[in-house]
Order: sequence, then structure tokens, then C-alpha cells
Amino acid sequence: MDITTFTSKRFLVPGLIILILLVLLATLPLYAPAYTVILMASILMYIVLTVSWVIFSGPTGYISLASAAFFGVGIYTAAILGGELPLLIVVGIGGLASFCLALLVGALTLRLKGIYFAIFTFGLVMLLRYLVLWWEIKYTLTRGRFVIVVDNNTIYYVMLGIFVVLLITAYFIRRSKFGLALQSIGENEEAAAHTGINVTMVKVITFAISAFFMGTAGAIMATRWTYIDPYIAFNPLFSFMPVLMAIFGGMGQLYGPVIGAAIFSYLEEILLTEFPYYYMLIFGVIMVVAILYMPNGLVGLIQKWRKGDLGEKHANT
Amino acid sequence: MMVTILDVVIAGLLLGGIYALIAMGLSLQYGVARVLNISHGEFIMVGAFLTWMLYTVFGINPLLCLVIVGPVVFIIGFILHKTLFTRLRISSTSSGAFESRSLLATFGLLFIIQNIALIAWGAEIRGYAYLNISVNLGGALFGANRLVTLGFAIAIGLAFYIFLARTRMGKAIRAAAQDPATAGLMGVNINQVLALCFGFGASMAGIAGLLLSMCYPINAAMGLEYTIIAIIVVVLGGLGSIPGSFIGGFILGLVGSIVTYFEPGLALVSYYVIFMILLLVRPTGILGK
Amino acid sequence: MTKKLIFSLIVLTLVALVALPLCSACAPAAPAKDKIVVGMSRPLSGPMALIGDSAFRPVYETFVAEVNADGGIYVAEYGKKLPIELLIYDDKGDVGTMTRLTEKLILEDKVDFLWPACGTAFIFGQAPIANKYNYILLTAEGGATTIRDILPGLPYVFVSLSFSDWYQLPVLADLLAEKGARTAYIMYIADLHGIEYSGVAGIEFPKRGIEIVGIKSVPPDIKDLSPILKEAKASNADVFCAFAYPDQILPATGQSIEIGYNPKVWLGGPGVNFGFYHAAFGPATEGIMGFTTFSRKTSPTANELADKLYAGKPEEVQDWWGHPLYWAGLEFWKAAIEEAGTLDQAVIRDIMATSTFDTILGPTWFVSGLMAKECHTGEIGQWQSGVFEVVGPKDKATAEFIYPKPAWPAP
Repeated sequence: MDITTFTSKRFLVPGLIILILLVLLATLPLYAPAYTVILMASILMYIVLTVSWVIFSGPTGYISLASAAFFGVGIYTAAILGGELPLLIVVGIGGLASFCLALLVGALTLRLKGIYFAIFTFGLVMLLRYLVLWWEIKYTLTRGRFVIVVDNNTIYYVMLGIFVVLLITAYFIRRSKFGLALQSIGENEEAAAHTGINVTMVKVITFAISAFFMGTAGAIMATRWTYIDPYIAFNPLFSFMPVLMAIFGGMGQLYGPVIGAAIFSYLEEILLTEFPYYYMLIFGVIMVVAILYMPNGLVGLIQKWRKGDLGEKHANT
Repeated sequence: MMVTILDVVIAGLLLGGIYALIAMGLSLQYGVARVLNISHGEFIMVGAFLTWMLYTVFGINPLLCLVIVGPVVFIIGFILHKTLFTRLRISSTSSGAFESRSLLATFGLLFIIQNIALIAWGAEIRGYAYLNISVNLGGALFGANRLVTLGFAIAIGLAFYIFLARTRMGKAIRAAAQDPATAGLMGVNINQVLALCFGFGASMAGIAGLLLSMCYPINAAMGLEYTIIAIIVVVLGGLGSIPGSFIGGFILGLVGSIVTYFEPGLALVSYYVIFMILLLVRPTGILGK
Repeated sequence: MTKKLIFSLIVLTLVALVALPLCSACAPAAPAKDKIVVGMSRPLSGPMALIGDSAFRPVYETFVAEVNADGGIYVAEYGKKLPIELLIYDDKGDVGTMTRLTEKLILEDKVDFLWPACGTAFIFGQAPIANKYNYILLTAEGGATTIRDILPGLPYVFVSLSFSDWYQLPVLADLLAEKGARTAYIMYIADLHGIEYSGVAGIEFPKRGIEIVGIKSVPPDIKDLSPILKEAKASNADVFCAFAYPDQILPATGQSIEIGYNPKVWLGGPGVNFGFYHAAFGPATEGIMGFTTFSRKTSPTANELADKLYAGKPEEVQDWWGHPLYWAGLEFWKAAIEEAGTLDQAVIRDIMATSTFDTILGPTWFVSGLMAKECHTGEIGQWQSGVFEVVGPKDKATAEFIYPKPAWPAP
């Protein structure tokens, strides 16, 4: 078997599947009911948040809880600039603003490890929430802002665009030298520095890239929410959700966080509408059970099943 | 002027005492059992609602409820660790994996406990007046309930500190905190010790809830707010350190009280500024190793 | 081989995710009309639940039970009474979820009517959506000058709750001025509600010669209010106003008692008007003021409604400000449907905008989307012997305004 057919085979099947899925998603507004499009936009939002979280936290092992801060910065960008500039530019600026904030925070927190990094980044969310609230009350004499309303299909397409760009970015980061450097930082930071990796630069840049996507997601999502205030924009839930979804999905493979976020957010929708009075109870029980029985997330489950499959084959021969 | 300073300082200490108490339990749970318990605030809420119910329905003095609330919440925590976290610990490949999995599990617990509380007690805000008589401290006036709260927080902290330092069980806990594997080899029943620690932590949260309910209104969704404060205080003071919890609590209380005096709108901002600056200067907390 | 299997598994999951909502949408067509489906996105869990569960929820639950016990609402188009069926979703107190579920109710569930989400910020998010799909939105918890400003662009939105200059604070200022109050200290929550009330007070109080000697905003999550209360005490103002929510009103009351702060007027925002306030503080509530709509003495119909909502229930569930207005709003809505004889939103909207119907408040009508202030049966309340009496405006009062407030009872 020569190498070319092997590689083409290796990429053909997943490539084809991804293509079919993309076509299905891209044409969704043509065949699906209006609400499905709205729901998908919101599921894509969770996927974007989760995958961008994994870009940085997956390989390095640094648990960032700053997601809500970057998401919120995007939201406020849309609220402030929404009416003034074209939508895509607003979304871009939302991403850039988060990117810059992440550069600053990343540079500041280099010394922090483990739980201290997690708590610091969470502090950032709360700091921004109360600071923006204080500023708005004191100087703009209001609490919230109206955001320009955008057509639901447009929101969906922008979100889908962000999702696709993010997946490509994540894929190439994983495959590149950059990704390898990240991986070695996660395994042993000091050793990585000794091998000549500019640890600081790699960490901060990745952190900022991940923040960029969260910011764009916030900017486009704000237009769906119509009205925002600091408590809505800087909601700690958006810090925890990506972590939960990523662990639920499993971080070993790129598809892990995607499925994790998709299933998690869809499950939430079902529970909120079908079992409104017991939503938290059922959600909590599912979380605990998932943690107990799927130590490595959905990916772990799939891999275990795959190994079992292989083992069976060996046993048969 | 003197009275004003006294006012601000005492108010800060009173608030700090509560913060210290809610942080102590979490410090124990994370410092020893390695569970960063996001549902910590839910145990506070359960303690507060039990007290409210015992007081308003059965007319039991809130301070007497201590002997009911403390053990009840302890048992809940103990059983949870025995069933859930012990299992997680054994099935986890590394301590890091255990930390992230248990974090997730406590998130699930948060949801479960809160929903049960919603069903049992409803979502409405609750409150009762107890001991809100004024006490004069050098010209500064304070509510007796809040002074009692501070007294209890310090007493519980001291008692536990002595327990850790002097008793056999306390030594086992400290050994487990430093090196669980060796402690296990030395004949410490590690699962039992960790479950006890988790139970003690939960029990302290419950008692904190009891004391909180005497001063502040309570509701089923109040937990997360206190969890966040507890995490800040624990990180500020240093993980697993009881004196650290008090120092962290008092710093936060004092800063909050001083800033509230000048610009209430910035009180919460100041919490996070102080906390983030301290983290940057001393990344392992004030009393951390 | 296994790889293919894994990928097909993933694909199946993803396809299922896309397809599932599709399937739920292609449910069998609705049978002949035999009920009115009313959809709501409510905060059943999360931080807003404590407001939602004590404000609108008991009202709509009682109202629906009463209407259905009577067979439903008569709709001429169908020639029969149609009972109300509620379709309630939990929005966790999150605006993003609320806007999404609102569109689900409208687009996917195709509910006949939309009832409101909880909270002013939520109305801001929901009103443009309801209006976009031409759904009537009669709001409950929440109301503000800012909402009035956007109402002209939202013909389908109707606001039932009274608010600052509609017509509470002008009435309050009149009452205070008449008794000779000269100075006021204002503490307000850093929120729409606080900004609005302190802003309106800043206009209405000086107009009547009441000087505002101090004003402080507090962020929603602050615990210890005593520094502000001590400053208020030092200012010696006749009037103390706490424009905040139960989360602040309850500790502010407790801490005022603790530090012996007893101004001539102690007025609090949402919180004072609830039964749980009296349940928590008992006789210490004597003379404390707040916002209200009616007391049992207002009218026989008011007394009847109080019986319907509160008889046999703990005191905590009472709300003398919002409940009567929400109830009147629902009665008005029902009358408009019966008048229209159809479930067509546009027809009913026009009737709601132009007609007057009798509700528990008496003749009730809307003026450019707001329930007319002339319909209100009271604005300012005061706790007197365990009853939240209406003390203003004077022609609607059920008790004489006690000024100054009596001392806190000895412990």
C-alpha cells in the first residue's frame, strides 16, 4: 500500500463527512423551521466558547475562567458600536477588544499556576462586571443598553462563519509546531523553556487567540438579546459552561468539545422546556452520573469502546 | 471622627468574621480533601433555611439550632464524600484528574441541592428578626446579632484550630493534607479522614448559614454568591490554613467597609482589585507555602 | 474499520442534533380549537426566581384556576368557552435564554398568547420580540420611565405596573410636603430601578421644597449597609428613602433598628409592600412606608381579591403593590378577548388600546400602553398595626398618614 492512497483514504472519509455536515448546516435556514435556526445559533455559540476555551486550556492545562469576561467584552462592543458600524466590523472589533484584553491579562498572570490562575481569571469577570456597572450608573446614568436588532438568519450565518474559522484555526494550531510547543508547556513548562520555546509568547498568544473567538461570539450574540446590562454580559455561567462542556465531551480530540457542547446545550434546552420545574435537578444528576461513569468524557467513552472493539478482534484471532 | 473610624473598622471586622467562617469550611475541603466545592454555598443555604424553618415554625432559638444544623449538614457532607467523592478519587488516574472531576461533580451537586431547596422551601426571599438590638461599642452602634455572629465565627475557628493541632484525628487530617499516600501507609484510614474533613467543611458552611440567616435575608439561589466570596478569602489567606481564612476574611471585610464608606458603588470592585493584586504579588496567598 | 464506525457514530449524533428539532416541529397538526394556549418564559430557577415566584406567579396561577373553573373564556368565533392552558418554560433568569424561549413559544409552539417574563430588563428584551411577531405583551413585574420611552414604537406592548412618576413619587412628595418634611436622604440600588426613582425624586422633592441632603448608590450584591445608614443618620434628614429591592430593604431595616436610626419617614422600594416584610419584622414595621395599590378597605372587590389570593395562605405571599395591578391586567385582557370574539392579536390589541373595562380596580383603561394612573387605587402605603394601608393619594387613602414615624419598639 503506498503512502498517497493511505493518506487520501485517511482524510477522505472524515473530510467527506465534515463537508456533508457543513453543507447541511449552511443550508439549514432553507429547510428548517425558523426556531431551529435560532436554537442552532445558540448551540453554535456554546460550541464556539467551548472550542476556543480548549485551544488554550486543553493542551496547557491552565484552567481559564475568563471566558465570560471575553464574551462580555464582545457583548459590550456590540452594544456600544452596534448602530454605528457594519455588523461584521463590529464583530471583528469585539474579537480584537477581547484579544487585547487577553494579551494584557496573559502577560500579568504568567506567574500564576493551577487554581490561582483559575481564580484570578474568574476575578477578572467579576471585576469587569462591577466596574462596568459602577461606570454606567455613575457616568452614563443608566444600567443597561439596547443592542441593535439583527435578522435571526444573519446571526446564524455569522455564528456559523465564526465556528468554521475557529475549527480551522484549532486544527492548524494542533498540527503546527505551535501546538507542539503548547503541548510541551502543558507537560512540563520548565523543560519546554529549556528546549528553546518562548513559553511566555506561546502562552499569551494562544490565550489571546482563544479570547478573540469568544469576543466575536459575544458581539454577534448580543444582537439576539436586544437588551444587555453588566450582569447579563458578565455572567459567571459563561465562564463555567465551557469548562463543563469541554470536560463532558473530553479534550483529547478536537471533536470532543464540539460534541460535548452540542449535546450539553441541546440537553439544557430540552430540560428547560420539557421539565421546567426540575431542570436543575435532572441536569445535576446527569452531570454527576456522567462524571462518575465517563472519567474521560465522551471521547474517552468512544475510545474505550474502540479499544474494546480491537481487543475483541484480537481475542477472536 | 474617632467614632466614624471605629464604626468603619468594627463593621469591617463583623463582615470579615462571617467571610472567615464561610471560607474555613471550603479551605478544609479544598486544602485536605482536594475538592474545590462549588456547591459550598448550597450548604450555607441549607443551613440558613433549616434555621429559618426551625425558628419560624417550631420557635426554636436560632443559636440552639446549632446542635441540630451542625450535625445534620455534617452527615450530608460525610455521606456525599463516602459515596461520591471517594469513588471519584479511587477511579481517577491523577490528583489533577480528581480535582477537575470533583469540581464538575460539585457543580452538579449545586444544581441538585438548589432544585431540592426550591421544591422544599420555594424561591421566595425569607427573613426573620432575631437579636437586632443595638450594642454600643465606644460610641459606635452595632446589632447584637452581628456581634454574636463574629463571636461564634472566632470560637468555631479556635475550636477547630485546637482540634487540628492537639487531637489524634486532627493530626491524621494534617498528615492526609500533606501527603495522602504516606499517611495511608502510616495506618491512617484515608477515606475515613477525607470524608470527615468534607463533613466538617459542610458542617461549617451550615453553621455559617445559620449565623447569616440571623442578619441577612435568605433565598434558595443565594449560594453561589457566598461560594465566590469563600473562594476569594481562601485564596487570599492561603489554602488549608485556618488562621489564613481569618486574615483573608478580615482583610476583605475591612476593605469592603472602608470603600463602602466613601463610594459604595466600588465596594465589590475593591474586593476583586485587592484580591487580584495580592495574587499577583503573592501567588500562593498571604499564609500560603 | 473502527475509525469509520466512530465517525459514523459522531455523524449520527450530529445529524440527530440537527434533525431532532426538525421532528418536534413536524408534530401533528393542531386539532380543532378547544383551549387557549398561553406561553410564558419564567425564572423558575436562578436569581430572578425569588421575584417571579412572589410577584406574578401566584396571580396567574389563581387567575387561570378561576377562569378554568368557570369553563374558560368565551370566544364568539368558536361559539364556546375555551379554557386556558399554560405552557411554561424556565429561563433561569437569563436574558439570552428568555429571548430564545420567547421565540420558541411564538414560532414553534405557536401559542395563542404570550404572558410576560419577569423583571424590567427582561421586558426590554422581550417587548421588541413580541412586537415583531405582533403578539400582545401585557407586562407584569417591571415598569419604568425607560419603558414608557420605547412604548410608542411597540404598539403591542401594555404595561400594568405603576412606577416612579406614574404616579408614585409626585403623590409621595405631596404627602411629605404637607406634613412639613424639609430634607431627605436617598439610598438607591445601582440599577434601572434605583436610578429612575432617585432621579424622579430629585425632581419631585425639590419642587415641593424638600431638599435632598444626601444621595448614595449601592451595588446590588453589597451586604453591609450600615455605613450608608450611619451617614443618613448623621445627615439628620426628615425623610429616608431606600429605592432598592428586598435583598437590600430587609437588611436596611434590620440595620436601621440596630443603630437606632429612626427618621420621621422611612420609605423602602419593592420589599416593604410584601407580607414577608411584616412576617420578618412584626411590630417594628409600624409607620414604615412603601409603594402600594390597595388594601382590603379600598373596596369590596379589593377585599374579595385579597381573599382569593391570600386566604388560608401564610402572610409571606401577600403583595399589596403588584398583585392587584397584575390581576386587573389579566381581567382586562380576558374582557378584551370576549369583546373581540376572536383570538386575533391585532383585533384584541386595538380593543385593549381603546376600550375601558371593569376590573377589580374599577373602570380600567390604557393610555399609550400604560395602565392609566387614574385607575390606580393607591400609590403610597404605610404599615399600621400590621396592615399595609393606603395613605396616598388622599382621596384614595384607607388610613390617615402617620407622621412622624413612631419609634422602633423596644426589644
